[in-house]
Amino acid sequence: MTDLHVVPDQTAGQEQVAVTRNCLPEHVSHVGGKAVGLGSLLRAGQRVPASFVVTAAAYRDYRRGQTRELRAAIAGAYAALGQLDGTEVLVAVRSSAAVEDSAEASWAGQFQTFLGVSGADEVLAKVEECWAAALDPHVGAYRTGQQLSPDEGGVAVIVQELVDARAAGVMFTQHPETGDRSLVVIESSHGLGEAVVGGDVVPDLFEINKITRQQHRSRLGTKHTEYRLAGGGRGVQARPVDPARQQAWSVSEPELLALTDMAAALEAKLGRGLDVEWAIGTAPSTHGEEALFALQVRPITVDPRRRAERPQPPVAGRDQDAIGHILGRLAGRERGTGDG
Amino acid sequence: MDQGRRSFRNPFDIETPPGAEGWESMYPGYLLFGEELRERDEQKLWFFDQMHNPEPLYPFDLMMPESWLVSLNQYTTRVWNLPTALGIEHRIVNGYLYLSPNVIDDPAAMAEREPIFAQRARHYFENWDDIYANWVAKATDCIERLKAIRFEPLPEREPLDTVLRARGTTTAFDLLASYSRYLENCHEMAYYHFEMLNLAYGAYLTFLEFCRSHFPAITDDLVARMVAGIDVILYRPDAELRRLAVRAVELGVGGALTSGAAPDAVQAELRTSEAGRQWLAELEEVKDPWFYYTTGSGYCHAKRAWIDDLRPPFAALADYVRRVERGDDLHRPLDKLRAERDRIADGYRSLLDGDEVTGFDNLLALSRQVFPFVENHNFYVEHWHHTIFFNKARDLGAVLVAAGLLEQDDDIYFLHRYEVYQVLYEAQARWALGVPTRSEYTWREEVARRRQIYAAFEKWNPPPALGVPPDKVTEPITVTLFGINTDTIERWLAAEAEGSQDGRLLGLAASPGVAEGVARVVHQVEELEQLEDGDILVCPLTAPSWSIVFARIGAAVSDGGGIMSHAAIVSREYGLPAVVATGVGTRVLHTGDRLRVDGGTGVVTVLERAAAPAGEAAGA
Repeated sequence: MTDLHVVPDQTAGQEQVAVTRNCLPEHVSHVGGKAVGLGSLLRAGQRVPASFVVTAAAYRDYRRGQTRELRAAIAGAYAALGQLDGTEVLVAVRSSAAVEDSAEASWAGQFQTFLGVSGADEVLAKVEECWAAALDPHVGAYRTGQQLSPDEGGVAVIVQELVDARAAGVMFTQHPETGDRSLVVIESSHGLGEAVVGGDVVPDLFEINKITRQQHRSRLGTKHTEYRLAGGGRGVQARPVDPARQQAWSVSEPELLALTDMAAALEAKLGRGLDVEWAIGTAPSTHGEEALFALQVRPITVDPRRRAERPQPPVAGRDQDAIGHILGRLAGRERGTGDG
Repeated sequence: MDQGRRSFRNPFDIETPPGAEGWESMYPGYLLFGEELRERDEQKLWFFDQMHNPEPLYPFDLMMPESWLVSLNQYTTRVWNLPTALGIEHRIVNGYLYLSPNVIDDPAAMAEREPIFAQRARHYFENWDDIYANWVAKATDCIERLKAIRFEPLPEREPLDTVLRARGTTTAFDLLASYSRYLENCHEMAYYHFEMLNLAYGAYLTFLEFCRSHFPAITDDLVARMVAGIDVILYRPDAELRRLAVRAVELGVGGALTSGAAPDAVQAELRTSEAGRQWLAELEEVKDPWFYYTTGSGYCHAKRAWIDDLRPPFAALADYVRRVERGDDLHRPLDKLRAERDRIADGYRSLLDGDEVTGFDNLLALSRQVFPFVENHNFYVEHWHHTIFFNKARDLGAVLVAAGLLEQDDDIYFLHRYEVYQVLYEAQARWALGVPTRSEYTWREEVARRRQIYAAFEKWNPPPALGVPPDKVTEPITVTLFGINTDTIERWLAAEAEGSQDGRLLGLAASPGVAEGVARVVHQVEELEQLEDGDILVCPLTAPSWSIVFARIGAAVSDGGGIMSHAAIVSREYGLPAVVATGVGTRVLHTGDRLRVDGGTGVVTVLERAAAPAGEAAGA
């Protein structure tokens, strides 16, 4: 079991605002799956956009009318983010479901994201909006059907600095279809990762051998659109990509190697088979310097139908006798993939 | 899928190239396509043996394929009783050798052979190191006995000694007896060639498939790098050149070697000084056996060895001397190579769990144990033994020239080895009669006719395959020894259908790296000097001895060759991007084309076509 597999534990921490780094899998009901993922990334030594977590306990306190302490806690945590460069930083405010992050898809639409938020008051207002969305009667009915009452679970919210991404995408630490553990598969496009995650573009594709660190395969994407922060970070704007940049790779060779290193570091800490969102860009915490950020991590979800189609590797060496294995192969008992 | 389109040209529909009419009489009938077996033969796959015989077969050189036809196939069919395969058939088409594997797919036949195979093969695997040590002794002894066979011109008079010792027989009788021993010796070596090879490749294949099943994207090259030996005999000839280059600089005679003069002139210059004579003495010491290193695959007499033509090793020596003078360290970084090989193996092992790790370790260990045989047999058999064998034929040719039956010593290669028996008999008869015979005319005329036919063969481009391929190529000897699998067949079918119209040619990724440059299509080792720095060598087959140009060229692309062929092994050794087994590279690429060669993926891309393909035919 990896650090990503969540063991719900309702009794863990009761603080209103949590330090992201301390969000452990057992705290999932308290901080939500996204925050657990960010905590895992931080503990695995990755650069993650600076953030804090408004917990499910805070939500319950808020419901009971205990708002003053909460205001103070959020203001304090936000000020700490701001100290990164001494101004009121622009942040994203987004819900973090109290379930494994990968399960959140089945709750799609019930969770909010606000970009370009600044100032403690606005942050609190957006946190409230996140909660309001969770309290929506329609949402509530849907969730009741999922055997999870809002009063028990609550909704955590992440407040996180914005990264102005020059390039972003997703990375699989093993091949998502063949299951080949020796490959890192990277999908990348210009601008924010939404273009890749949302399927707006055909991203650049790279398959990199973890052992030799050489490219096994690459494919130039079409990348006709990119999403960039706009309006002082208050929103995201889709822009056309000029033909020359469409034809250019969205990431450089050294950046691909940095991503490959990230994959190795994450697998060493979190186990194999990870799906990572990443971005290369600037943020308040980097003081304008470009850097590689890990944005999210979760286990690769393999479509069970795909798994069934995949030929099972022959169980080699099962009798621990290499000679017997070779004789079996030459006798035609184990055809293997010699013709592949 | 439309079965009708999934076939190559019918072997019975291949036209004879102009000037080659009547070629069939050069070869034994059992190696030709004939009506008796038409129904069977035209439904089989026949692939061109580009790896061993990229050039048309000289009738005498047929000794080699005919030797392995019996030795390899006897091992498969009768000795090991391989459950999945019978022998590989041979056919000659317009002078080129085509092969066809035969699989056993009857479960009852397989089941009957399996226990026999398991018992016999297991004995070799379990006693591998002892058997291999004995193999080296047998192979060396065979070579020493071959060396001892001498073909001397028939004397004007029988030596007095024959009378004084009352021998009874004569030197003419000795000549025929020597020739018999000579042929037997070649057959004997062919048995040793295949005694351990199938099993060694079988071990390698099993490990390769294990790796592919767990890591579908693993390249053959990476598997080869985990298994390949670092300090094997096959690299010794080159290592000796490097050492001699260092010695030349130490002795202060490097200048003679880098003068650019022909080897004879270089040696004459060296003989004028004490230091030069010292270096020449050291050169002589390494020649036997390390200069018995052929510039070809070892299956054609026309590809000479270093011992016969010093130009290739002297060109390499000049290059090495310059590097020593520049301060380069010529020692192969053995520790670095070992570390690299272990790093790759450790990397893949770390991605496996539990039983998988044990399976990987056991198969890798066994592959590494058996693989030195694969690398080293190549020196003993193809380089050392075959060089001596072909040179002895030249000696015999000189005997027949002296006897007045042939025009020049290499005429002999245009005669099948059993025809040579006849010629030797006739030479003996003429010697016995002491008067002119027709033999002095008939053989010369026949050789002249065959030389014309051979020249016509050289202008013909053999297709990579003929006939109907099976759905899957599984026969293990074809897959491992010849590097031909289902993918290869699909590539060839596609290439036949489209040529390289899309400017892209797919081969096997043999040695990683990417290079761009101008293509130069080279068929003979003599043409290598036309290569300019950074050119991309496009050839039927990259032979190890072509390594002398590897320092200058950007990449190599070959029609033939498998991932574990000596060509691929040495390309990796020299860090040269290489794509092998394209099947049609020399036909669809032209000198002057601008290419990108990706040795990691096996893709050759035509970036720009040459203005006018330099007089090359459009291909088949």
